[in-house]
Amino acid sequence: MAHNPQREDYQRLSLRFARELDRLDPGEATRAFASFGRRFAQDRDSLPQSDADRAFHLVVLATEVVDYQLPFATDEQAPGLIKRGRDLLDEALSLDPACHDAARMRSSSEAPSVEARYRHLAERADEVRASCERARDEAVAGLDDERASLAADIAMRPYLRWLASLAEEALICGRNRVAADVAERLLRLDARDLSDARFTLAYALAKLEDEDGLAELERRYASISPLRGPDDAWILLARIALAHKRCDFERARADLSRLLSTYAGAAGTLIRQVELPDGEFARLRVRPYSEDELILAVSEGIVLLQEGNDRSGKGVLGTWVAREVARLDPEAAREAAQAARREGAQQA
Amino acid sequence: MNAWDELVQRCALRRRDKIGPLSDEAYAELLLAVRADPEAFVDTSVERSALVMARALDAYRASCRDDDLLDDAAYEAERARRLAALHAECVLAREIDESSLDANLMQLLTADLEPDPLLEGLLELEKDFSCDEPPAGDAWDDVFYRPHLRLRAAVARTCADSARFKMARDAALSVIDASPSDPLGARHTCMLAYARLEDEAGFDAVSARFSRQESSWSHLARAIMLYKLDRMPAARRALRGFDGLCPGGAYALLRPTYVELYLPDRPEVAPCSFEESMLAVREAEPVIADTPDFIPWCQDQEWLVASAARFAEGHDLDW
Repeated sequence: MAHNPQREDYQRLSLRFARELDRLDPGEATRAFASFGRRFAQDRDSLPQSDADRAFHLVVLATEVVDYQLPFATDEQAPGLIKRGRDLLDEALSLDPACHDAARMRSSSEAPSVEARYRHLAERADEVRASCERARDEAVAGLDDERASLAADIAMRPYLRWLASLAEEALICGRNRVAADVAERLLRLDARDLSDARFTLAYALAKLEDEDGLAELERRYASISPLRGPDDAWILLARIALAHKRCDFERARADLSRLLSTYAGAAGTLIRQVELPDGEFARLRVRPYSEDELILAVSEGIVLLQEGNDRSGKGVLGTWVAREVARLDPEAAREAAQAARREGAQQA
Repeated sequence: MNAWDELVQRCALRRRDKIGPLSDEAYAELLLAVRADPEAFVDTSVERSALVMARALDAYRASCRDDDLLDDAAYEAERARRLAALHAECVLAREIDESSLDANLMQLLTADLEPDPLLEGLLELEKDFSCDEPPAGDAWDDVFYRPHLRLRAAVARTCADSARFKMARDAALSVIDASPSDPLGARHTCMLAYARLEDEAGFDAVSARFSRQESSWSHLARAIMLYKLDRMPAARRALRGFDGLCPGGAYALLRPTYVELYLPDRPEVAPCSFEESMLAVREAEPVIADTPDFIPWCQDQEWLVASAARFAEGHDLDW
């Protein structure tokens, strides 16, 4: 699923626009409705919107900059993009101090440590929930069921993203039980799992070596994620980690093969095991089963891969995964080694 | 491991079995005689193998004494030489008697392997040397069973080093079950595993089983566990307990130093001493590494840093 900021922006404005249409006669309403798409794309300012809507739009622009452009920027471009992202978020906050997405993204880039980031998210979570609930109650007033439900949904999303970030930070901090609890809270609030909290939950359960919990989560996929079964990279990596932790190498190999056959170009990604910064707005939106999705899962999975006292620094599981994949796909191993040498030469 | 003491007991027990029932006094006399000159009583291949190991361990420990004087490169070279010499003796001891579990275990440990291959080797040994139920009562009292307990305790520690915390917990618990007096300190491994698994009930149960006797491991493991559970005031109190009851613990935590392999088990140190804290910090490494901001948080506790600095000053250590 994943959060889609552009879509949410569109939904916010279309919902507000629809309220205006109700005041018009049917002919006018039809004409106005037909013009919405064009105005949204080309003449946004002509559409009715609140400061909160404007602030959210700035968040969307900031997300584009920091989550989707910055990771691919050169060293010369990066400072400019960082500044632009910060300016957009500051502007959003000046328009709407209750813009929790902007506040979250802003504080995340400023926090001196993961602990500080975690602490900020944990301490403000209740306040953010209360604020979103107030916004929800105001938003649904006077709306019919269908619109009320969408309006309520949109109003609560900043809180869902807040919790999703909190769960991820907890996992990075080694607070695995907190991560699992927050992910569960998120699943209760958002039964369709827009935030893909089940991915974070799978890793937290693997860290806690909770075999039963992970098996139960796989069964729960049928209701949480009816269109996508438990064969994503997160659940598979969590299963591999657990099998490896109980020295069931046969099982671990079988799931690793499954991962390799499910994801295109998986071998190189599983050998390199690169850690990337997490998306600031939310987990990056990528195509299911794409190489990019595996890159995200491996990056978040560093907490599992790099455990243990091995001397390579790759972690006990990380070393095992890289070696097994290289055995299954020697060509990918050669390419990964070449890429590593090139990077080493560039950095030197 | 007190290899000489175990060799003496083995030789005395075999001799007693050979000459028939002895009164307690007579057996005590026999023990004294063996202790005075163990080599004279060494007879079977197991004992000869144990003798080689006892001598090799003496030589190894003696050669560790002057390490402080060496620079890093010289230390590395000396360490490699020393381990290789001990390894060669263990190979020899094993050739003398392949059925000596201690020789097999030591040969494996001195190979200085990565956690995964080491664990594989240890589990292989458990299969090859599988035995019936441990002796009734405290299995440690049976000197012939001690190698099995040592192996299991090594499995527990290696599981923790290879991030297999439930396996570590289970292996450590089985050592405690077989030997409730736990001279090998498997409970320490167990507590670290519970801390990493954020299992407070399990931690508490094992602590209660040992009458809440504290150690550097228990204090440190509790602080880490509460930090992981985000119960920060309690975590701070636990860290204060570690600092207050383990002199030098703060220094060991904030300035961790290299701790040599356990050959075959932990060196004997005084409870809650600085030396014990160094061991606890080393063993807690895979757990601490899982909480990247635990050490920075400790460094933010001014009293802890001040305590470490005081200890360094009082003991002529770098700070």
